[in-house]
Amino acid sequence: MNLSPETKRGTGIDTVPAGPANADRPARMAMCLERARSGDMAALDQAVRELSPLLWHVARSQGLSAEDAADVVQTTWLELVRQLNVIRSPQTLIAWLVRVTRRESWRVNTRQHRDPAREALGETVDPWPELEERLETGERHRVLWHHFQRLSESCRVLLRIIALTDRPDYEAVAKALKMPRGSIGPTRGRCLSKLRAMLVADSTWSAR
Amino acid sequence: MNDMPGPPERRYDKGLSAALPSAAPELEEIDDIDFAILDQLRTIYDVLDPPPPDLADRVRFCLALDNLNVEISRLQRETLVGSGARSTERTRTITFDSTNLTIMVSIVEMAGDEVRLDGWLAPARPLRVELRVAGASPNVADVSHFVETDDTGRFVFCGVRHGLAQLLVHPLADGMAEGLGTIVTPSLML
Repeated sequence: MNLSPETKRGTGIDTVPAGPANADRPARMAMCLERARSGDMAALDQAVRELSPLLWHVARSQGLSAEDAADVVQTTWLELVRQLNVIRSPQTLIAWLVRVTRRESWRVNTRQHRDPAREALGETVDPWPELEERLETGERHRVLWHHFQRLSESCRVLLRIIALTDRPDYEAVAKALKMPRGSIGPTRGRCLSKLRAMLVADSTWSAR
Repeated sequence: MNDMPGPPERRYDKGLSAALPSAAPELEEIDDIDFAILDQLRTIYDVLDPPPPDLADRVRFCLALDNLNVEISRLQRETLVGSGARSTERTRTITFDSTNLTIMVSIVEMAGDEVRLDGWLAPARPLRVELRVAGASPNVADVSHFVETDDTGRFVFCGVRHGLAQLLVHPLADGMAEGLGTIVTPSLML
């Protein structure tokens, strides 16, 4: 059975295309989970490689430092391994992982607020780097970033996670984030709508 | 004031539906402009805040367990002592917590590119501690070191090389562990 027709080899960071190339992913992830359940733990490798970047962005969007986010991603997968047989339907794997990542991130946040020693050490969230220095991909990104910063924090968190989600997974992730049903693909949702209105009104922004 | 004929309900309906398209653009179907916005946002985050390149490797390392019936010990605190410019010895102290056990380790940089781990378990009891260290390259097998705690819960690993590592705490082979299973930590970089 060919589980991973578009697996890339030899690339450093795995960037998974957002488009229809991943249309079969929910089914492939379900297959990984089922094989892991029957004892083939190596089958999880594919899921780990493809889904860990999204989980990392979920943890970062909850305000965790890069190191804490990396820890939370590991804890989330360890939790999955412990509960392999508890997940009701393999189709819900992504939603389950996103939910656990958020819960583990909250746990870290709660603990850190109770731990003033940590703040004294200056281990707060990394300062956000200046976009202009790091991003040279063009004016439209700069304009988008400018307007994006004007959104509420909850909208920024939501849109960040959705932007890092591949389209076939929108529904599952939206559900995990408790977004109103259908609020991202088929319909636009409130946050994306706001951002879009600002961008469309700005003549310096272009979609392409 | 409004003397227009016709049922008031109907007029109300008409007014609402005329207002809908501009009042609730979030209910319109997602289109190519929306996808372009989300793709641009993804590009920005990929550049500004990419996941560590070894993230998946770290996850796979900590998942490579023989026994899946484990308890997870979560990272609670990490502190750095003696990291000043004049300090000759750098020590990191890391605390992990699970329901049944607290694990605390101090990682001391030693000469010869090695580290020493001084550890302490609470509540103290005789347990077997495993330190898994990842192979230096993908072709090199992981190495596990084993020690047992003394009766104050202390343990030491000497001459450990740098790299990705994971702590596992096992009940002793002869039982007496009061229902304690294997406890694992996320990976830590030595």
